[in-house]
Amino acid sequence: MNRKAIIAAGIALSFAVSGPIEAQRGRGGQGGAPVTAKAAAPVDLTGYWVSVVTEDWRYRMVTPKKGDYPSIPLNAEGRKLADAWDPARDEASGDQCKSFGAGNIMRVPGNVHVIWEDDNTLRVDTDAGTQTRLFRFTGSPVTSTAPGWQGNSAAQWEIAGGGRGGRGNAQQGGGDLKVVTAGMRAGYLQKNGVPYSANAVVTEYFHRTMESNGDSWLIVTTMIEDPQYLNQQFQRSTHFKRLPDGSTWSPTPCTAR
Amino acid sequence: MRVPVLLLLAMALCAPAFAQIDFSGEWAPRFYEDQPERVPGPELGDYLGLPINDAARMRADTWSASIQTLPEWQCRPHSADYIWRGPSALRISKEVDPVTRQITAFHAEWLRSVDRTVYLDGRTHPEEYAAHSWSGFSTGKWDGDMLTVTVTHLKEGYVRRNGVPRSDLATLTEHWIRHGNWLTVVEIINDPVYLTEPFVRTTDYELDLHQQIPPYPCGIVEEVDRPEGIVPHFLPGTNTSLSEFPAHHDLPAEAAKGGAETMYPKYQSKLRQK
Repeated sequence: MNRKAIIAAGIALSFAVSGPIEAQRGRGGQGGAPVTAKAAAPVDLTGYWVSVVTEDWRYRMVTPKKGDYPSIPLNAEGRKLADAWDPARDEASGDQCKSFGAGNIMRVPGNVHVIWEDDNTLRVDTDAGTQTRLFRFTGSPVTSTAPGWQGNSAAQWEIAGGGRGGRGNAQQGGGDLKVVTAGMRAGYLQKNGVPYSANAVVTEYFHRTMESNGDSWLIVTTMIEDPQYLNQQFQRSTHFKRLPDGSTWSPTPCTAR
Repeated sequence: MRVPVLLLLAMALCAPAFAQIDFSGEWAPRFYEDQPERVPGPELGDYLGLPINDAARMRADTWSASIQTLPEWQCRPHSADYIWRGPSALRISKEVDPVTRQITAFHAEWLRSVDRTVYLDGRTHPEEYAAHSWSGFSTGKWDGDMLTVTVTHLKEGYVRRNGVPRSDLATLTEHWIRHGNWLTVVEIINDPVYLTEPFVRTTDYELDLHQQIPPYPCGIVEEVDRPEGIVPHFLPGTNTSLSEFPAHHDLPAEAAKGGAETMYPKYQSKLRQK
């Protein structure tokens, strides 16, 4: 698939998953003026969050050795590429951000800031690698034509109780956020060169919990489909603790090593 | 006429506030995270990312894997908190009230576990002095489409199966989340004895309609000929194998000892200084 075809697929995907906001409200929709994604949000994901690394520590907090990727279902082509990982080559080509793309950025230890870019775009900034993701609810085609590390993300609220025709609504039962991302530059699923291709599609679900001790956790479930380098769908779930403010925000550039 | 009216009224009053997600089915574990820890098993002295205190570290440092060969330990199942991370298939079944048709309980069963019931009928937890068990006592409530489970009355267990303990005073909160054929379970362990902060992890399973959990009869045999009363252990400071893990992976020995600090991204700057 050439680049134009990939972008076209990404745009088509955006349309496919992003129905009109009104249609996402289940029985909550009463007609009248269209409701913005911000107003329709069944859950508040905004704020500062920090990743708490209790899983895959040896693969996230430090850079693992070349060839060390036991948890990732690579196919033969993917293994060949991972085993040839050369961070110096990535640095020389200006590709230090390969492990900071949408396929892996939520696994990179760091702070995450979630804010509304506008009424229909949720923005996610990361201090690790200083990356920005834009989750668009509009259903309109993305204007960017050049694939970037974060690709094009189409967002949709999922209303508890079956928001697409079910009994729930935002005020009653909460919900979660579904994001589908395509049109990314090829990147790494793990810092030591474990690849995903430009054809990969990333589907994510964002949930928020409220604990009795006052803690709140952001749970991100990530599913990656990449027939080029993976022999099956690959899923990971990652957790972030809510912070009171951005006082620990510490932007750092991408690194290849 | 009065009875049907009352019945309908009772059914209407018992209707759930929100739809109930069905978690029942055959779920296969997917080891896309922590595969080395979960399948072959953790290495000795690997406490990375665990918010443990000195008491827990001492227990783990003096633990000997040979304790599993004791007759009293051979058939010991993983506890409710650890079993999610174990290398075992999962079956979840549901109990349904025949009148209201509401789900009143889920049962979770793994290859090497006891039946674990999560009650959804509003019952309260037992008194503090009630018996503790491997599965504990679990009640659930719906948070939208997410099931939040509270677990108390656990016997002592472990948070990592290389001897890192979890006390019988610990409580566990779970959030069950389903998206199509995928199940994600968030676990939050609070342990006033061995943890300085809540310990959180998330685990994923995939629906597998062909899966069958076979019987797992456990018999006790004499695995090691040893004098009666001997409990395998190391005295503090005598287990020289503990240093092998950080050395093998080029990690600072301090990091391998764990502690809440090692969970946070800020710890990376400390790692770079070493």
